[in-house]
Amino acid sequence: MVRSGQKAAAVSSNQPEIRTDSPAQLRRVDPGLRDSRGPFGFGFIAWSLIAWVVLGITAWVWIYYDGGRLEDVFSTDAWDGISRFVQDLAGQGSKNTPAFAKAEDWINTLKLANETLQMSVLATAIAGVGALITIPFAASNLTHGELSRFTRLLGMVVFWVTRSSYILTRAVPELVWALMIVFVLQAGVLAGAVALGIHNFGVLGRLGAEIVEDIDTRPVRALRSNGAGNVQVMFYGVLPQVLPQFITFLLYRWEVIIRTTAVVGFVAASGLGYQFRLDFAYFKYTDVALLLIVYVIMVWIVDLTSAGLRRLAN
Amino acid sequence: MIGKRFKYTPGPGIRGAVSLEKRLVLTLIMLTAAIWAVASTIRVDELVHTGGRDALVEIVSAAFTPDLGAGTIHLAAIAAFRTLMYAVAGMSVALLLGIPMGIIASGTLLQRPLARYSVIAATRGVLAAFRAVHEIVWAVLFVFAIGLSPVAGVLAIGIPYGGILGRIIADRITDAPERPLNALRASGASSFQVLLYGRLPFAAPDLISYLFYRLECAVRAAAVLSFVGLGGLGFRITIALDDLKYEEAWTSIYALVILVTLIDLWSAQVRKRLL
Repeated sequence: MVRSGQKAAAVSSNQPEIRTDSPAQLRRVDPGLRDSRGPFGFGFIAWSLIAWVVLGITAWVWIYYDGGRLEDVFSTDAWDGISRFVQDLAGQGSKNTPAFAKAEDWINTLKLANETLQMSVLATAIAGVGALITIPFAASNLTHGELSRFTRLLGMVVFWVTRSSYILTRAVPELVWALMIVFVLQAGVLAGAVALGIHNFGVLGRLGAEIVEDIDTRPVRALRSNGAGNVQVMFYGVLPQVLPQFITFLLYRWEVIIRTTAVVGFVAASGLGYQFRLDFAYFKYTDVALLLIVYVIMVWIVDLTSAGLRRLAN
Repeated sequence: MIGKRFKYTPGPGIRGAVSLEKRLVLTLIMLTAAIWAVASTIRVDELVHTGGRDALVEIVSAAFTPDLGAGTIHLAAIAAFRTLMYAVAGMSVALLLGIPMGIIASGTLLQRPLARYSVIAATRGVLAAFRAVHEIVWAVLFVFAIGLSPVAGVLAIGIPYGGILGRIIADRITDAPERPLNALRASGASSFQVLLYGRLPFAAPDLISYLFYRLECAVRAAAVLSFVGLGGLGFRITIALDDLKYEEAWTSIYALVILVTLIDLWSAQVRKRLL
């Protein structure tokens, strides 16, 4: 198990898109499928792929009866709509100066981008701190495994409670959390950040717990046998092994968060997302174009920053 | 850190401890960022709604008492199925886009450098554009163009996910180790045969396990698509919250959690057999 961690690291360095959220991509796999034979001579994987095909056909039949017609996409109306939309974005056919040609609009939009950036950093901080605190209670080797200091029953309970919190927070998308948060907090940067933070807490918690489950146990046992307490074991045995990878994940998540922040802004009434919704509603398409430009630039800068910081972390 | 002081050689799972100076710089940067974000956003007096605390209590207690009436469960089940269907159809579009584009973007089928690199650059650029735009924004665009049709939602998922899949397929089949490929070439395989019998089998396990993960993401994305007016779990959650029926909202949320968890379990079973 320990080796897969290193392989994951190798994957992570050149394939940022691959591992954003689940352990599925953390493991680099040896070539060749080893699929044991099951019913009708097909193994589990083969049956899974068959299930995908069946699901796919069912989905399209369902969508057909739900009123979705694929040919709508290829109709001339649709393409006229899209090309008209693109022209509107570019400001053609309108007498006003397009927003992206005006300095004050740029300044206002950059302020909104700043807000969005704050939201993403705050969200990352909330998720990161929350995950770091709970990870020791979600790693089976620390709760009821080799390195446990709990009684077995208590360890299992702690493990499953923490893991359930990860499952719940991770399964529910940010926007749904945001919908609920705005009942409690004033709509704004903080509300959006909390919503993003809750979802990413589950994501990071699960990833972090899996790193901890893969750690080298020798330093930890050495510390224990020298009389280190739980806190000392955590700080000198577990954290040093976990942090480099955890920070890498955290920075990757930041890249994902900055993309989603704009969307959470729809609901949380702040930043680029909210303005996007307003401008769209008021048919101010050149403003929308400006927002999209600033958004793409911001995402690009965040990606570069995150890549730089990741190099520091490794 | 340990590595510096005790000459501790990291085990194979550890990527080498972070060196002390770098760690300090990194800590400072991250702390500054966090403090900046906190300091500039939090004004204590306007944090919580009037009545926000009551709402919190109600929402949290509703989480423990979801509405389990037959009617609500029936509606949630249908919505969950619809969300799953959108997600699966979206994935089918993503596969149809991603596999061919990924293979082209890997450039393994072309020999001459000029053609090869221009094709790689062009297809990778298109894939990047597909995935740069968030699925909700795609949904807004498609609803604008073809109206409120399930197809708009399916394409909104399919296009960005196709961009991601294409990139990963391209990366993985480029990563295939050279030796088996050379063996194939030596026995006279064309570049298409090398792709079919050398590169794709190498990439398959990773891609299959990645597909399951993406299906899980697609389910979440499909649930959220109701923000542009398409049905599904997100729609049930939205209208329940609009009516302040928190218990009903939680029923739909739990349906989503169950759906995602089932896919996750399935994917874990597959991954176990792939490893």
